[in-house]
Amino acid sequence: MTAAVLSAAVALLGLGIAACAAARTFRLGLTLQSAGAGLLAVSGFWALAGGTTFGSAFSGAFTPRFGVDGLTAFFLGMLGLVAAPTLAFASPYLATGPRGRVIGGLTGAFVLTLAEVLCARDPFTFLAGWELMTLLPAALILVSRSDDAARRSVFLYVAVTHIAGAGTWIAVLLAAHAGVFGGTSVLARGSGLQIAIALAALAGMGTKAGVMPLHSWLPRAHPIAPAPVSALMSGVMIKVAIYGLVRVLVDWLGVLPLWLGLVVLALGALSAVGGVVYALFQHDLKRLLAFHSIENVGIIVLGLGACLLLRTRGADAWAALALAAALLHTLNHAAFKSLLFLGAGSFERAVGSLELDRIGGLLRRMPWTGGAFLVGSLAIAGVPPLNGFASEWLTLQALVHVPVYGGLGDGLAGALALAALAATAALAILCFVKVVGLVLLGPPRRASVAEAAEAPVPMRAAVVALAGTCVALGVVPGLLVAPLARLAPWRVPVHATFALHLPGTGSLPTVGIALVLGLLAPLLFVMRGKRVAATAPTWACGQLVQPQLAWTSAGFTKPLRLVLEAVLRPEREIAVRASGGVVQEVSYTGRVPHLIDERVYAPVVRSALVTARHARRLQTGRLGTYVGYLIALVLVLLAAAKAGLIG
Amino acid sequence: MSAASLVSAAVELVGGLLLAPLLPGLVQHWKARLQGRRGPSPLQPYRELRRLWGKSTVDPAGSGLVYRWAPAVAASSVVAAVLLVPVSGNAPGLGVGRDMFVLAGLLALARFAVAAAAWDIVGGFSLMGASRDLTIAVSTEATLVLALAVGALVAGTTSLTAMVAGTAGTAAWSNPALALGAVSFALVVVAETGRQPIDNPDTHLELTMIHEGPLLEYAGRDLAYLQWAAAVRHWLVLVLAAQVFLPHAHSTWIQLGVLPVALVVLCAGLALTETLTAKMRILLVPRLVALGGIAALLGVASWLVQLT
Repeated sequence: MTAAVLSAAVALLGLGIAACAAARTFRLGLTLQSAGAGLLAVSGFWALAGGTTFGSAFSGAFTPRFGVDGLTAFFLGMLGLVAAPTLAFASPYLATGPRGRVIGGLTGAFVLTLAEVLCARDPFTFLAGWELMTLLPAALILVSRSDDAARRSVFLYVAVTHIAGAGTWIAVLLAAHAGVFGGTSVLARGSGLQIAIALAALAGMGTKAGVMPLHSWLPRAHPIAPAPVSALMSGVMIKVAIYGLVRVLVDWLGVLPLWLGLVVLALGALSAVGGVVYALFQHDLKRLLAFHSIENVGIIVLGLGACLLLRTRGADAWAALALAAALLHTLNHAAFKSLLFLGAGSFERAVGSLELDRIGGLLRRMPWTGGAFLVGSLAIAGVPPLNGFASEWLTLQALVHVPVYGGLGDGLAGALALAALAATAALAILCFVKVVGLVLLGPPRRASVAEAAEAPVPMRAAVVALAGTCVALGVVPGLLVAPLARLAPWRVPVHATFALHLPGTGSLPTVGIALVLGLLAPLLFVMRGKRVAATAPTWACGQLVQPQLAWTSAGFTKPLRLVLEAVLRPEREIAVRASGGVVQEVSYTGRVPHLIDERVYAPVVRSALVTARHARRLQTGRLGTYVGYLIALVLVLLAAAKAGLIG
Repeated sequence: MSAASLVSAAVELVGGLLLAPLLPGLVQHWKARLQGRRGPSPLQPYRELRRLWGKSTVDPAGSGLVYRWAPAVAASSVVAAVLLVPVSGNAPGLGVGRDMFVLAGLLALARFAVAAAAWDIVGGFSLMGASRDLTIAVSTEATLVLALAVGALVAGTTSLTAMVAGTAGTAAWSNPALALGAVSFALVVVAETGRQPIDNPDTHLELTMIHEGPLLEYAGRDLAYLQWAAAVRHWLVLVLAAQVFLPHAHSTWIQLGVLPVALVVLCAGLALTETLTAKMRILLVPRLVALGGIAALLGVASWLVQLT
């Protein structure tokens, strides 16, 4: 039955892509695609709830096979959940012109490719889908934008994901060779092969997921794509890389050595803290959101690291819960990040540029989109009773149980990761208070913003539906935790109840918390009374409040920038032009350089270019030189054979 | 449900919701005495709340829904936190669970609401206070979680009720992990209650405000909610300090009986600290609080060493 729904979903998506080709049926095509994605969500969550498996099992042979098991079903459900509102959003967002039609068709193809990677059951299909998953967004960006900056970003995106993506090939092919593709045979714990596969997967799939320090492509590629594509990239594509990591590290490789768990934990902590810190200093909304994707991938990887460490220590029940934490945060992040990217798309259409300091007051002008965006901001900031808090709570629990079951080294690492996650949550609040303030609240900061109009109904409906998903997932996460914990290949019975009464915790009765907050806040608001004194301007020591004096993004984050000065090394320049003892002009520029780009990537690129320049001297273009090279090679080989080095 | 747990629930609700304003009142009273002034009566916060309750609210020009809802949201999230923090090891669940990480989340929600309200009115002083508050909250939240994690390790669970029961006795004196956790939590207490050397609750100079800054524009019942919420934050952290990190009895009845004494002693301690220290530079505060985090990490390490 689920298989039939899944086939219907794929058929609808295919039909929708075909219908996008003609201008007349373009809107119908996107609607069909959206319906197909909705069916995808239904079939995925249905299969997850029922624990059904269908199609082929994993096989190392190179013949195309497809199948669905619990983990695939969960990610398929997530893909559908994000793609259905995103494609509905795309219908009025994209123009009917040839460019819009190509984007519409390719977006549907992108969704199908993601589903293909998830359902692939042999190395060939998996790797083919994996490469297509990288190339389709690149094509989408190039179709939608033709400026040089976009081209450079796409080049960097493709280059970084391909160079580091070699890790995925190595991991998958090694796994197929060793017979662990699909976890059919078990590698010895700590064997060279096991470690090689794990490290290759971490490098290759970690790059695709945007794990620091391999993230450099993500904040460049995500912001320049059209809003629905950004939503799919941040919401689902990087999660498919997480799917790959879970498959390899948790599903196939068995129990890993302790130090690998520590490496994963460290990468997670670095991405979480680094992602949110650099997000704070971005001036463009979409770029800021892209950095937050790095942060949230970090939180997911923290859960994954806790899972590996607890597994190694034999704490199977908590290892399964840590896996559930990572997967739950994956789903939650998919919901609120696609909401935020779609909201940003609506804002961009309404006001033009998304420069943070020049928006303001959109909650009043676009109440539906703005309200949904506010819900998404609260969710990503991780405050109760929304979904971000539920999965962060479970991740915190997983991390605090690392020292409970671990030794000195991993125990301390768990405690450090716990502190890092708590600090990340607080930094995310700082960042999203700023975003909400600059985008939604206060007076409009430029003329075009004052005339912003609410988005068309389908775009509104898409973000409101996703906001509803964020609230629902925040109120009933207990329904998902037990089926997710059951996905662990070491089958342990986990008694996760509706109110998340987990052993060793004080439980998270999300419904109770939501009720207390949801009833009390309106009650207190009503008790506040209607008596209001005459309206007065905000107090500014008697100064007139002028728009030029309004607080900026840089001003709000200045205390943090000063506190972290030793780490971040912000740059600032103040030029004062005085003539005749009177200051004529003061110009100020300040920026927070991205240290990983400047200290790690730039030297690598520079030395690669220098090496290339030297290597070029070997290529003279004269026939004689090449004949000389061949003779030299033969001589060297003969000498080596004579000396007994080869042969 | 036993009599002890019923009484615990009653003490928790009455203490957290009604008696909390007494705590900052006591601190102010004793601080004045220590400084050689007569000072206000400990009941002064109640008088202020009554006065504010009778006044009308003020909505500054251009303010919107977020500004109007923020006090109600902040107050309801600290009410939820009161339902969360137990006064004894035998407290019954009150519908919101008893988990320590939920406490951090609820305090964060209150901070988010108040800081967003500051953006809604684009008040320069409000935003200055909010940005400082949120910056300091980064290290405070990490330290809070780490300090409570020490208690969780000792008790074997993150449930606050079980933690109160699991740390009972004089373990705080003999167990280095708990002692280090206490040092770390002391800094959290000072930061969360907004007292010197981190913040000066008595300041009238807008430029130096942290917690007071975002409240500048509020008046009437809005301000009453926010001042009451600040008093409840005193209750939350002081109760946790007394029942987890200070020596406390095993028996529920003695725990409940000693709690008022412990709270009064802790208030006196806060008053003494406020008298002896000056407010420190704002940019040095995160370092001070982070020192608390390091103390808690050492506590975790010493606990892990004890086990091996």
